[in-house]
Amino acid sequence: MKGSSTALPLLFTMTGLLALCTGVVWLVLQPSLLATYHYNQYVIAATHLFVLGWICSVVMGTMYQLVPVALETKLYSEKLASVQFVFHVAGFVGMVWSFRVWHMTQLAHFGSTFAVGVGLFVYNMARTLRRAPRWNITATAVTAALVWLSLAVTAGLSIAAAKCDYASALESSPPALVAALLHGFQAAGGFVAHFDPVSAMHAHAHLGGVGCFTMLIVGVSYKLIPMFTLGELQSRRRAAWSIALLNIGLAGSFVTILLRSPLKPAFALTVVAALAVYGREIAAILRARKRRALDWGIKYFLTAIVLMLPMSVLAVVLSWPGLPLSTFTGQLENLYGFLGLIGVITLAIMGMLYKIIPFLVWFARYSRQIGRTRVPALADLYSARLQALGYWAYLAGLAATSGAIVLSNETGVRIGAGCLALGVATLALNVGKMLAHFFKPALRPSALPASLTPKTA
Amino acid sequence: MNNKTAIRLRKGAASNPAQVVEVDARGLEPPQPLVKILETLAALPAGAELRACTDRRPMHLYAQLEERGFAAATEEQSDGSFITHIRRL
Repeated sequence: MKGSSTALPLLFTMTGLLALCTGVVWLVLQPSLLATYHYNQYVIAATHLFVLGWICSVVMGTMYQLVPVALETKLYSEKLASVQFVFHVAGFVGMVWSFRVWHMTQLAHFGSTFAVGVGLFVYNMARTLRRAPRWNITATAVTAALVWLSLAVTAGLSIAAAKCDYASALESSPPALVAALLHGFQAAGGFVAHFDPVSAMHAHAHLGGVGCFTMLIVGVSYKLIPMFTLGELQSRRRAAWSIALLNIGLAGSFVTILLRSPLKPAFALTVVAALAVYGREIAAILRARKRRALDWGIKYFLTAIVLMLPMSVLAVVLSWPGLPLSTFTGQLENLYGFLGLIGVITLAIMGMLYKIIPFLVWFARYSRQIGRTRVPALADLYSARLQALGYWAYLAGLAATSGAIVLSNETGVRIGAGCLALGVATLALNVGKMLAHFFKPALRPSALPASLTPKTA
Repeated sequence: MNNKTAIRLRKGAASNPAQVVEVDARGLEPPQPLVKILETLAALPAGAELRACTDRRPMHLYAQLEERGFAAATEEQSDGSFITHIRRL
């Protein structure tokens, strides 16, 4: 059985890291992105850089590696994944630029390009899931995440479609397929135009942030946390309930956010309940683990789970019917988005990257040498000191930026973003140390134990 | 469960004279099971079979075995662990 390539996950991951670095530098240079209300072209552009450029890139790349392993099967098509990468990068770069200059027609073009990439990704993952010899909770979560991702992209395209004008394009008598697509966009845009644009944007954001990313964090961690802490899932029933409640809560949240319904808190609380059940299961896994020491990768990830607590409080507060629209509540919305994307999701991903990237590099560079020469351990590929520095810098950045957002203080946001940038820089430096092994491998002569040394007759 | 890797040599029955080397790679964080199995494989006597016990199906192992000229068959055990029988091609 030919092994899956590590090059493609690494390519996606490096793209994601580049987007993350660009994003935090952008926050340092333009702190008004977070210190003022988020419904403007620059904030939307920066948000999509973080969501599509950073989070989506890393999530997709690592899923190409992790999902087949977790489901004990092979990726359906590496070629398709390579093609998707091209659409993905062209799509998200073009979208971020289009948002920034608020060019809706180009946004529709690049959004469609990105959507083609997502379609290829979803198809590839779906075919891989079909091959799985056995179904488990992770497979259920991945399937749900793919559905929500598809809906999030559809919603995003529809929101963009509502802002476009089709008259000139249709008057030019385009080919039948293009005309059909244009009519489709026009219809979708016409439908979305019935809803409040800010509510539509918030609903779209929840489909992606909660439906896709949070669902994956929950589902995949049920496999990875036991693996890395030498533990086991303690209660399949509890894990299943967390996924079920997350799906129900998100479906209800999407509709109630879109319709600005007074039932919003009910579904926000359902999502909170899902995360509470998830937290209980993770705590149970950790209590029963055999590996007592927790490395920094796991610490990053567990901190992300802890951050779900203030996020949950914010979610319930912001969902409350009749909440007055004010500068303060606007900033609370900024804080919610910031803590969700840059806090919970980014910290969780950073933690998992500290487990995944060393393995990808190590496997690509050293797996053929095992048993022939002495190969370094995974921990030898990076610096634990940099991890620790990065952890504290990033936490300080989250705290400082959060306070500054609430106070609408640009200087505070700049300082906080600077700390975030330092945290990200340590990750980038560590990744550089890992990648250096491709060029300067650390191989030493083999020293098998005497008991394994072949005895001559 | 013994978290330390245990290596035992056992002679087969008279009807199956192949030597069997057993490796217990359970209780190890990835990629240590892979490393342990391949290091043991490097010193496997000619004609012997390696029987590796792991917590999970060793998905990353198969390509490495194929490259080294070995075939493998994995069975899931009732306790959720896996035993992989590895022989030279």
